Amino acid sequence: MLEIKNLQASVNAKPILKGLNLSIKPGEVHAIMGPNGSGKSTLANVLSGKSGYEISGELNFKGENLKKIPVEERAQKGIFLAFQYPLEIPGVNTNNFLKTSLNSVRKANGEKELDTMSFLRLVKEKSSELGIDEKILSRQLNVGFSGGEKKKNEILQMKILDPKFSILDETDSGLDIDALKIIAKGVNSSRNKEKSFLVITHYQRLLDYIKPDFVHVLSDGKIIKTGCSELAQELEKTGYKKLN
Amino acid sequence: MKQQELEKTKEYKYGFTTDIESIRAPKGLNEGVIKFISNIKKEPKWMLDWRLKAFNRLKNMKEPNWQKPKYPKINYQDLYYYSAPKSTKDKPKSLDEVDPKLLETYKKLGISLKEQEKLAGVAVDAVFDSVSVATTFKDKLTEKGIIFCPISEAIQKHPDLVKKYLGSVIPITDHYFATLNSAVFTDGSFVYVPEGIRCPMELSTYFRINASETGQFERTLIIADKGSYVSYLEGCTAPMRDENQLHAANVELVALDDAEIKYSTVQNWYPGDKNGKGGIYNFVTKRGACRGNNSKISWTQVETGSAITWKYPSCILQGDNSVGEFYSIAITNNYQKADTGTKMIHLGKNTKSKIISKGISAGNADNTYRGLVDINKKAINARNYTQCDSLLMGNKCGAHTVPYIKNKNHSSIIEHEATTSKINEDQLYYCNQRGLNQEEAIGLIVNGFCKEVLQQLPMEFAVEAQKLVGISLEGSVG
Amino acid sequence: MLNFEINSKEIDKIEKISREEKDFRIKNLEFFKTIGFPNKRFEDWKFSDFKNIVDNNFNELAVNKVSNDISNIDLLNDFNHNYILLVNGSLHSSNFQYEDKDKIKISSYNNNIDYKVTKNPLVCLNHALSENGYFIEIKEDYKFKKVLVIYNYFTEDIKNKILNNKNKIKLNKNSELHVIEYTVNKSKFKFINNSYEDIVLDDNSKLKNIYLQNNKSDGFFHKFLRNKLSSNSDYSNLIFSSGLKFNKLDIECDLVGEKAKCNILSGLFLNKDEHQEIKTRINHLFPNCKSFQKVKNVLSSQSKGIFQGKIYVNDIAQKTDAYQLSKALLLGDHAEFNSKPELEIYADDVKCSHGSTSGSIDENSLHYLMTRGLNKENSTRLLIKGFLNDIVEFIKSKSIKRFVERKLEEQVNGY
Repeated sequence: MLEIKNLQASVNAKPILKGLNLSIKPGEVHAIMGPNGSGKSTLANVLSGKSGYEISGELNFKGENLKKIPVEERAQKGIFLAFQYPLEIPGVNTNNFLKTSLNSVRKANGEKELDTMSFLRLVKEKSSELGIDEKILSRQLNVGFSGGEKKKNEILQMKILDPKFSILDETDSGLDIDALKIIAKGVNSSRNKEKSFLVITHYQRLLDYIKPDFVHVLSDGKIIKTGCSELAQELEKTGYKKLN
Repeated sequence: MKQQELEKTKEYKYGFTTDIESIRAPKGLNEGVIKFISNIKKEPKWMLDWRLKAFNRLKNMKEPNWQKPKYPKINYQDLYYYSAPKSTKDKPKSLDEVDPKLLETYKKLGISLKEQEKLAGVAVDAVFDSVSVATTFKDKLTEKGIIFCPISEAIQKHPDLVKKYLGSVIPITDHYFATLNSAVFTDGSFVYVPEGIRCPMELSTYFRINASETGQFERTLIIADKGSYVSYLEGCTAPMRDENQLHAANVELVALDDAEIKYSTVQNWYPGDKNGKGGIYNFVTKRGACRGNNSKISWTQVETGSAITWKYPSCILQGDNSVGEFYSIAITNNYQKADTGTKMIHLGKNTKSKIISKGISAGNADNTYRGLVDINKKAINARNYTQCDSLLMGNKCGAHTVPYIKNKNHSSIIEHEATTSKINEDQLYYCNQRGLNQEEAIGLIVNGFCKEVLQQLPMEFAVEAQKLVGISLEGSVG
Repeated sequence: MLNFEINSKEIDKIEKISREEKDFRIKNLEFFKTIGFPNKRFEDWKFSDFKNIVDNNFNELAVNKVSNDISNIDLLNDFNHNYILLVNGSLHSSNFQYEDKDKIKISSYNNNIDYKVTKNPLVCLNHALSENGYFIEIKEDYKFKKVLVIYNYFTEDIKNKILNNKNKIKLNKNSELHVIEYTVNKSKFKFINNSYEDIVLDDNSKLKNIYLQNNKSDGFFHKFLRNKLSSNSDYSNLIFSSGLKFNKLDIECDLVGEKAKCNILSGLFLNKDEHQEIKTRINHLFPNCKSFQKVKNVLSSQSKGIFQGKIYVNDIAQKTDAYQLSKALLLGDHAEFNSKPELEIYADDVKCSHGSTSGSIDENSLHYLMTRGLNKENSTRLLIKGFLNDIVEFIKSKSIKRFVERKLEEQVNGY
């Protein structure tokens, strides 16, 4: 699914990722943990195609080099990023936005666009699955949403767009346990042989609910350790410092 | 002292005159007077020519009339353009030689030079009427290559620097009062900080108008060479007089690559009495050019005095990544009028400017913020943030905000906010409940309102400024 | 360079006017002739040099009368409405099929005398030459059932003309009227429309006005609006006038009774070299009044948007609540936004604030939308619509809101 080789990324000539290697196969869930400033969010941004980074190294998604592909085409190809800080966009209705977005993804994949009725049915289904109050969808995109609502909205968008590869950038930060369960449920119910996930997190807590196949430790722009889910528990006990 | 006079001095604590003999140029504005000034200053010919060029230009110029405060016509022929304490004719070599009466005057002003010297913090150049009387700490500055002297001295000793920069920020043809100043300026300060030097102390000038029927036209020029830093303080007072006096200074700042100039003013010219009689017309042109890349100019002003204040310390942000700042407190009481603000002209890339203005109006006063933010086409990624807050006390005064905002570059961001309000009754009540009287409470709250600006002042000034804020508003709440 | 001369005899052509009115018109014409079109040296025209604009766009200009004959026009069928039809500025016909006709007075408006002297040359020109606008008066306690559309129709043959017209709307006590002022410009040529509108709201009356165009055109419009708002009256003006090449709305509101309310809102999407200015002056003359202004401009290519807004608060106007916000989104490399949000306040117990921002589209928002699969163009459009949305949200009627949204969408999608 995703092949990253010797990925280097810098902002204003300041290196952040310094030779990162990562390979994710279909159906796998990978977790990336690491202290603040280790480059976790930069990795998420680089994968989504955010501008402002100077990049070198290999970045392949399903055998295709991502580097030249713009943000929206990556999204259309099935890369989804759940933002750490989802943006508030005043004046834009959430439902309206979701529909436009879903249809542009469908169109790019040669699928038929959904009409309003079937779209609303889909939204209803997915939001009740996640236990999200539909009312927030008639509000402006993330405007005035609580932290939890914003994160749930991200997961709902993930469910609706049905991506092949999802990146969750610290989706668990600032959530209470109930919200955390909703998020986990959203991910777990989507897991199958074709779909892969990259869960970026600071704490092991989320990984109690989303069992990863692999756990990587990111430090100073490189993966310094890889293990299975037990590694996360170990880290929780010892902290990151011991690893250095 | 008569009871009435006592009252008066309470209102304006700097309202004393000093009984010192002075030399004056004949009254009036003409070529003869300009030659007199130039001659007494022993100026080279190029300087006289420069003055006369300005004077010729002035003949065809009109006084501006767009500003909000209107003032009665000034008879320029009825003013003295030069007045100097007689005893400075043989200039003192050190403070010990300074006329004790002068020193006493400074003591009254609260800036005893001797004391200052002991405190070893501030180098002072005091301008009394039109002449620079004493500059302290010369040795220490000379060691670093810093020139800090009266501009009249700089004209003689450093003609190349003066020639190069004088009038380069405020052209002699700029506007009526700037041109008038160029023709008749008498003295002022000159500062040059050489490349890579951080001026080790605050430089300071005290201005005082002492003689009556005298206009004061000082000229200040500060040049910060590459990578240097200087902080400059200016304080002003004048005695109480029933007639209006004109103060039309020009201040030019030039910051080259990576240089920074911080210019702070506490202006407390005589504001006139309770009924609006007398007071200074403070028509000042202050402008700084951030000529070099990464340069910075920061203006801070506390304007509590003058009958009419009319000034716009501005920044021309020519160098890429240059920064301009303007922090202002303008307090008007009784019949005072202030029309002040700034201009931020963004020309270079990534230039940034910040404007924080606090206007406080009481009695029958009128307080206007007028400002321009102009982002030119080439000023890619320019940023401006402006905040103008006004506080009104009573409904006989006025508070006005007149910002001009021009954005010609789509990559730039401009934010402007302004509010007008009165003193919060609940806050007053809270303070009263804690035992503060009305005036103390107002002083406290107003100081809080001005905090962002007061914080910008160097320590020596901050304390004085805070006191001034309180004093200026005395009697504003009945 | 345009050589524009107006013969004083033009005034003689105006029929049935008193000696007094004629003098008033001549006086105004003389004033206009000495000043001419205002240039940027006028503080009020600082950002819109009208003289220069006229010089650059017209080789000839005439003020002579034009016919207002037309066979038929297409009425809007998006919602039921009454209408007044103005053709080339003159009242042509009206229809109040949804209303109680006894409660409405409509006539041609030719009163050009009860106006104070002004120094605005275009207003003087209007005072000198305007005729045959409309005057509508709503009787006490009558509330309109359906919206009134004022079709401001310009015929195909209008070219190099300057049309002057003056209208008046008077709402008596407790009455209510909703207006959509809808310009239909059939002319493919350049011309100037210089209008003056007099709006009087009596106690407790309410007027809502929406201003827009059917399509893009080469019209150069200037309009001066003078509003007098009495106690408890409620005035709203929603401006969506993106259809014009040049437009300046000069709005003056006197709040002359307690608790009067005034709302001015605008959402503009300007393209090409379009140039629009909204200038307001809200005079808070009585206590407890409220004014609210929100102006949003989206400026693409080389367009120019201007907002000059002044809030004036008289010393007796305590408890005034005045708010003003102008925001601009600059999209084009040559787009320009100028603003002068001004406060002049003489009362202390007031809540007055203004804000003005301008900048480009927020890159992070754009990125967020694009990670959801929208391309840059669509993301930008979505953000533009979002930016303008809160102005449209002020429209209560669903059908009218849809109509306005559609009009805005046509413009934004054309981007």
